[in-house]
Amino acid sequence: MPLFRPNDIRIAAHLSALLVAALGPRLACATLGEPEITVQSDVAQLRASIKSSEDRVGFRVHEIQLPGGTLLREFVAPDGNVFAVAWNGPTKPDLRQALGKYFDIYASAPRATPKDRRHMNIQQGDLIVQGSGHMRALSGRAYLASALPSGFNLGELH
Amino acid sequence: MAFMRALRVGLGAAICVSAISCGGGGGGGTTPIPPPPGPTANTASVVVDQGPSANSVNTLFTSVKVCVPGSTTSCQTIDHIQVDTGSYGLRLLAPVLTLTLPVEMLSGGGSLAECTQFVDGYSWGPVALADVQMAGETGKSVPVQVIGDSRFTSVPAQCSSTGGTQEDTVATFGANGILGIGPFETDCGDCDKVVRNIYYACATTSNCVETLVPTAMQTTNPVTRFAADNNGIIIDLPTVANAGAVTLTGSLIFGIDTQSDNKSGTQTVLTVDGTAELAMTFNGTTLANSFIDSGSNGIFFADSNIVTCTNPNINTFYCPANTLTLGLSIQGANGVMVNNLTFNVGDAQTILSTAPTNTYFVLPELAGTLPAGNAGTFDYGLAFFYGKRVAVAVEGNKTSVGTGPYFAF
Repeated sequence: MPLFRPNDIRIAAHLSALLVAALGPRLACATLGEPEITVQSDVAQLRASIKSSEDRVGFRVHEIQLPGGTLLREFVAPDGNVFAVAWNGPTKPDLRQALGKYFDIYASAPRATPKDRRHMNIQQGDLIVQGSGHMRALSGRAYLASALPSGFNLGELH
Repeated sequence: MAFMRALRVGLGAAICVSAISCGGGGGGGTTPIPPPPGPTANTASVVVDQGPSANSVNTLFTSVKVCVPGSTTSCQTIDHIQVDTGSYGLRLLAPVLTLTLPVEMLSGGGSLAECTQFVDGYSWGPVALADVQMAGETGKSVPVQVIGDSRFTSVPAQCSSTGGTQEDTVATFGANGILGIGPFETDCGDCDKVVRNIYYACATTSNCVETLVPTAMQTTNPVTRFAADNNGIIIDLPTVANAGAVTLTGSLIFGIDTQSDNKSGTQTVLTVDGTAELAMTFNGTTLANSFIDSGSNGIFFADSNIVTCTNPNINTFYCPANTLTLGLSIQGANGVMVNNLTFNVGDAQTILSTAPTNTYFVLPELAGTLPAGNAGTFDYGLAFFYGKRVAVAVEGNKTSVGTGPYFAF
């Protein structure tokens, strides 16, 4: 059984657009740790399009195609909240939008010594942000350790 | 110190040759018959050391001389520019730059600025023009990025929203600049057609919006703008003891098969794909998104059988009880395979914290993990270059053994 009927998110999309229009940016700055409906506010904010929405065993993935060529994937748990995001492409996505309230924790976390421009592994409480790559090909992921669905394989998070 | 002396000798050569190559232009009068041209000095010295902010290991540096375009006097030689085959273009840290380089102006109005994204952060600053000199080679009016320029302190939200550290000081950047000499010509490629949150048009220095930008104005691998020896580079580093070394000096040679000192010989050519990646086979698994990268300061791959360090500061590095010798194959996009390579994985805790290696900056056995989501990647860093002569040919350029983009060794 899929966790959601595929059309739900599209209906939610229209509702979300209306809500965003009505409520302004308050709703728009949320994703990681927020309800699935915020996937749509991401799409609107990022001038992007949903490429696919796929139900997998125990979670759902929305793949968002950003205009600059980068793919952003948002992972939704059975409780309806986004528990992870992952990206890969020539540039990074708007992580302030995708990480929502967790962005500042990520941005201000101490960085590695020795200096390492090619990898990132940040653990701040529940938040884990990891990345690797080089110019023209950057990838990464962020997730909330306590929000992973039971039995979730981190290897799926890319 | 020996390597500083070598750098100074190299710079002396650069100054001499550029003086000879100047002149020309002007009309009327008799032109003296020029002496027969000798070979252009095409070798710069490179060094692995602690870097200008004393927090680097396995990081390769060189010196670059930049001049205000057309000037032979408004010039500056900047040391500790990181040599990076994993990026494209020269970027200078404004705090060490004493020159005022002219910022590129877009035909539609506004000055050109750039948001350069790294895995762990971003750098912001204008794209300016400079004559770039290394050894006897000169590139005229090369677009270079000036990172942390005090005139452009207002970072667009879209750039800072990519997150991480703003790397606009020598301390945060870990170098006085970076010399991107990988196998492509520009840092974006198609930013003349696609807006990628890289290039910005600034009506004022604090009012910048994303823009398309002609290829010729994009931050450019300066080697491709040299008058000669411009089809690629060779990095030639001596063999290092397994335990490592305090420092290491070697050569950065410009051009491939353009002079007697940069011949391909019997090197094996491995071409790379559109993101400069190739396939590496490790532990029986082929990792399609792998790369050879002088800008990576370790050997990074996923292997759940190797224990990671317990020290929380380095817990993404490997700490095996005994040094491991592991095998690797590399296959180019052209299908050519190099088998039977080996590399060592040492105990990072011991390497970084106990004498004598805790005072070394050349650490060939330093290796670390990649997040599981990047299981398709093997990132073979500067250690790959130790004891090798590695050629990097730029896209679309021919050598006697192939056409770039490729790595050969």
